[in-house]
Amino acid sequence: MNEASLIGLFVATVSFAALLYLAALGELLSEKAGVLNLGVEGMMAIGAVTAFIAGVELGNPWAALAIAMMSGAALASVHGFFTVALGAEQVVSGLSLTILGLGLAAYLGKDYVGQPHGTELVPVEWAGLSDIPWVGPIFFSQSPIVYIAILMGVAVSVVLTNTRIGLALRASGESASSTDSAGHSVLGLRLSAVAAGGALAGASGAYLTLSLTPQWAEGLTAGRGWIAVALVIFGAWKPGRVGWGAILFGGTLALKTRLQTFGVDFSPIILSMLPYVLTLLILLVISVRSRKRPSPAPAGLGFPYRREER
Amino acid sequence: MTHSSSVVDGNQFAVHLSDVWKMFPGVVANAGVELCVRRGTIHALLGENGAGKSTLMNVLAGVYRPDRGQLKLHGQVHSFRNPADALSAGVGMVHQEFRLIPSFSVAENVVLGSAPSLIQPRQLEAEVAAMAKKFGLRVDPTQPLWQLSMGERQKVEILKVLWRDASVLILDEPTTVLTPSEVDELAEILRRMAQDGRSIIFISHKLHEVSGICSEATVLRQGKTVATSLDMAATDAAELARLMVGSSPVAPDRPEVATPGDPLLELTELRASGDRGIDAFSNITFQVNSGEIVGIAGVAGNGQRELADVIAGLRPSTQGSVTLNGADVTAARPQQRFRAGLAYIPEDRLGVGLAPRLSITDNAILRIYRQQRRGPFIVAEKALAYCKYLITRFGVRSGDPGGPIAALSGGNLQRLLVGRELDGQPSVVVAAQPTRGLDVQGVKAIQDLLLDQRKAGAAVLLISEDLDELLTLTDRLLVMEGGVIRGEFDPRTVSRHEVGMAMLADTNATTR
Amino acid sequence: MMRRPRLDLRDQPLAGGQPLAFGIGLAVALFVGTLLLLSAGHEPLKIYTRMFEASLGDPDAWAVTLNRAVPLGLAGLAVAVAGSMGLWNIGAEGQIMTGAIAASWVARIGGEWPGLILIIAMLIAALGGGGLLALGPAVAKAKLGVNEIITTLMLNEVAIRLAQWLIHGPWKDPDAYNFPLAPMLPEQAHLPTLFSRAHCGILIAAGVIVISSVAVKYTAWGYELRIAGSSEATARYSGISLPHKVLTVLVLSGGIAGLAGGVELTGTADRLTESLSNGFGFAGIIVAALALMRPSGVAVVAVLFGAVQIGGQSIQTLGVSSSVSTILQAFVLFGAIGAGVLSRYRILFEGDTHAVPEEVNK
Repeated sequence: MNEASLIGLFVATVSFAALLYLAALGELLSEKAGVLNLGVEGMMAIGAVTAFIAGVELGNPWAALAIAMMSGAALASVHGFFTVALGAEQVVSGLSLTILGLGLAAYLGKDYVGQPHGTELVPVEWAGLSDIPWVGPIFFSQSPIVYIAILMGVAVSVVLTNTRIGLALRASGESASSTDSAGHSVLGLRLSAVAAGGALAGASGAYLTLSLTPQWAEGLTAGRGWIAVALVIFGAWKPGRVGWGAILFGGTLALKTRLQTFGVDFSPIILSMLPYVLTLLILLVISVRSRKRPSPAPAGLGFPYRREER
Repeated sequence: MTHSSSVVDGNQFAVHLSDVWKMFPGVVANAGVELCVRRGTIHALLGENGAGKSTLMNVLAGVYRPDRGQLKLHGQVHSFRNPADALSAGVGMVHQEFRLIPSFSVAENVVLGSAPSLIQPRQLEAEVAAMAKKFGLRVDPTQPLWQLSMGERQKVEILKVLWRDASVLILDEPTTVLTPSEVDELAEILRRMAQDGRSIIFISHKLHEVSGICSEATVLRQGKTVATSLDMAATDAAELARLMVGSSPVAPDRPEVATPGDPLLELTELRASGDRGIDAFSNITFQVNSGEIVGIAGVAGNGQRELADVIAGLRPSTQGSVTLNGADVTAARPQQRFRAGLAYIPEDRLGVGLAPRLSITDNAILRIYRQQRRGPFIVAEKALAYCKYLITRFGVRSGDPGGPIAALSGGNLQRLLVGRELDGQPSVVVAAQPTRGLDVQGVKAIQDLLLDQRKAGAAVLLISEDLDELLTLTDRLLVMEGGVIRGEFDPRTVSRHEVGMAMLADTNATTR
Repeated sequence: MMRRPRLDLRDQPLAGGQPLAFGIGLAVALFVGTLLLLSAGHEPLKIYTRMFEASLGDPDAWAVTLNRAVPLGLAGLAVAVAGSMGLWNIGAEGQIMTGAIAASWVARIGGEWPGLILIIAMLIAALGGGGLLALGPAVAKAKLGVNEIITTLMLNEVAIRLAQWLIHGPWKDPDAYNFPLAPMLPEQAHLPTLFSRAHCGILIAAGVIVISSVAVKYTAWGYELRIAGSSEATARYSGISLPHKVLTVLVLSGGIAGLAGGVELTGTADRLTESLSNGFGFAGIIVAALALMRPSGVAVVAVLFGAVQIGGQSIQTLGVSSSVSTILQAFVLFGAIGAGVLSRYRILFEGDTHAVPEEVNK
């Protein structure tokens, strides 16, 4: 195991962490507003394919990112329409969204499979900082999306705790009727949160095709959407903790392909179970603790709201 | 664009509702209601459970949209599409079930809906603390809400409304969760707000409470207004009571003096915890004998609900014992207690006593399906026959027995539930609020069934918030307050005042 | 003036709402599909004819569709049984895998056993394998109240990786030229065929569906399940032990999903593969939801859904991307979800009110 491969591991850890973090932040926003969206995988796929196509056709990576985010938000809004506006079962709608997203992505991208990418997000070089040994390559030569992910984490955290809209959004996930009688539109809050969540999942997908694997292929998202769902629970619905979890889970993804390089005789497949097993353990801890205090899960998660029902 | 009303009475009323109609599937909750509230007064909205008070106030607060009717505030016509509209017009409501968020801090709960765009938690907490102090509401804005008592939570609700500077304040049955000293505190807070120029609507079905607090009253009965803007000082309680319940209901004949037999239900030193983990009641010792009805009076939330659950085996006791027919059942499961002769009519009909999404037949056989099996199967014909038998015997008005239980009206739900529980000739009957919210015939039917049980030699424990019901039906009356028995009375000789004192834990009440 | 729409709860759900919902779902899918096909320069009528012929056109087509309906129906049943009690088993995908793994394990040790015994042993093992994966979530839900949606979902990923690990590691076929493949099943471990390529898994699935439907609808056990699903408080009130029920129902649900894996292994797949579950577990959730969580409705929905899938696959030979069929499936789903909701509600516009009766007597 040499220095270069170790640095490579950490660089990849940070990249994967950012990928997972963006999608998880989106899911967190949606769940904080009370809407479970199991369509993350589909929204990431749509983000990835639209970013790739826009990159090829337009040649501008930032336009590609913007289009990916809009596509993610549009797809998420399908889920929003059915679950929030119509009050349909969130689990069923979310899974259907995964199917729709994967199908649409494959359909849109079928002519682009194997094509070279049109553009990519060039890693940011921070004058001076990027040359520092270890720290430079790991933290200061990453794709701009990594820094966007960190900014988004801070932004989500600040919005949720320090703004009127964030307070209302959290309230709509805890108790829709309280939020409604306080004069906020639960419908509006939830629809916006779901759409914003879709935009972040779309950005996460765009990161795949604009930086990490600059190619499009079906199944590119490879189940990372499910890790993002797990991550939200692992991080107890707190943006900061979800960030640390993203680094941990990103680490397992980065390590998975490098075990052999490091000469570790351990199955990478078993390693890739780790995020899920850890999340299960955290769930157990949460539920044992929540006998004494409220669970960190939004109390209204999964329940549709309609005012005049009685 | 705002147009003043040309009506002469226009401006003197803070609130003027006229001809309000509101319908729900199968229910007409408001049928042409009128309400006028003067500015700067505390106005009582009286009526029995189910009279349409809460619905009317939800219309005023923008939660429900009326199907017809006009709403004027300070002379101006309004049409609220949602609570936000009502709030911006100055109407704030404290709901009976608090609209609070347990995981939020007190300050976050208070400002929700009217927070500044950017929130600095510390500063906000200081502002909320200042407002609380101004009106004499003692709460800590930094505390998470789930740690607060019910009385404290109500203060948070009131703070919410004050924070929005509402000019009209609606309180829906505000005293049900309060201790007597908290009620006094609330009255003082309300008076301060009225002096401040705010108009307060105080919903209640308890006469004695509102008489000291409110200056005027409106009475609703079965969705209609029976009296508006009565001067409380000039109206006596008997008149109000008559208005609330209509032509004075035929009280069931006072039962003959019981000749109690053997004790069938014995509670000894019983203690149990409530949902919040603290004692709901303790040191409960009494017995109910064959052929008598023992009543438990008390303000809601003083341990009666938990006591009924413990007797039925739905909640574990932490100390003491329960004996049915001489057999100790303290550790027995609900079904074993039922087989030992216990019938339990729970407070929540649909949701505890009856399963909401199943059919009438499925609900009818809840107690006897275990006996109706052939192998692993429930015999459908027997189940249907039993359901039809219950329907006939207890006069349940229903359509298809295979239809959903939720399609039945409140009175018919209760007839089915009570009938099912009483059908197996129980030796002990525990009935919690069995007539709450029922119409006059429904109340009479259920009360007659309980009296029949008494005649047949059962021991009946009747838990009720309706003092009149208790005074007419029971042979002995116990009063529960703060989780303990505060007194035992002979309902034939005791005055309402004495019982009321005990319910409020006045020290003069004595245990005989 | 713009009149804003809102939903209003009906007094009674619209009669026949669910078949109608499925029909509307299909109609929406046909409409969107036609647009998609036209935009890609295909002839929709030709494509639809092909889809129908390939899935329901003749006995051979029926055989393929029925073979597909078997895992869909069993997975749907697994979800519906849990759903009768108000529980969500999102883990059928993983339970199918552990069921198939357990059945493969029996096939490895019982390679010399006679066919009938081997197959029965494999199917019993599959039941156990699926049930075992559901045991953790079941205990966590029953004892600690841990949300079963998340636990079963997480275990899907664990189970699929377990199969991967076996195929890449301990169970790798030495004769497969170093490809990560599990060995073929012994010859006698294949389910006998009924007609054409239809194997008798359809009989097993139909049997299990009938037994489960009857059990939920007509037995005391099923009655208790429905009580608990309607109101936990009522169940406690009547002395039904909720933890016990949660435990048995979730494990049974997992077992049924596991059986789907076992039947798929012995009937269709020749060996344990990474993609054996093939999304059947997730599709099962949708099948169950379309069947309104009623075990008795699962069979019909599974056959229809199987036909949509097989039809969708068949048109690839006409140059239509397989993704079109995936999209069509999604539109069937969303169409049905929307129609299902609307059968319980009606749309009122701003200003509309309930009719006010002339005289109200109560």
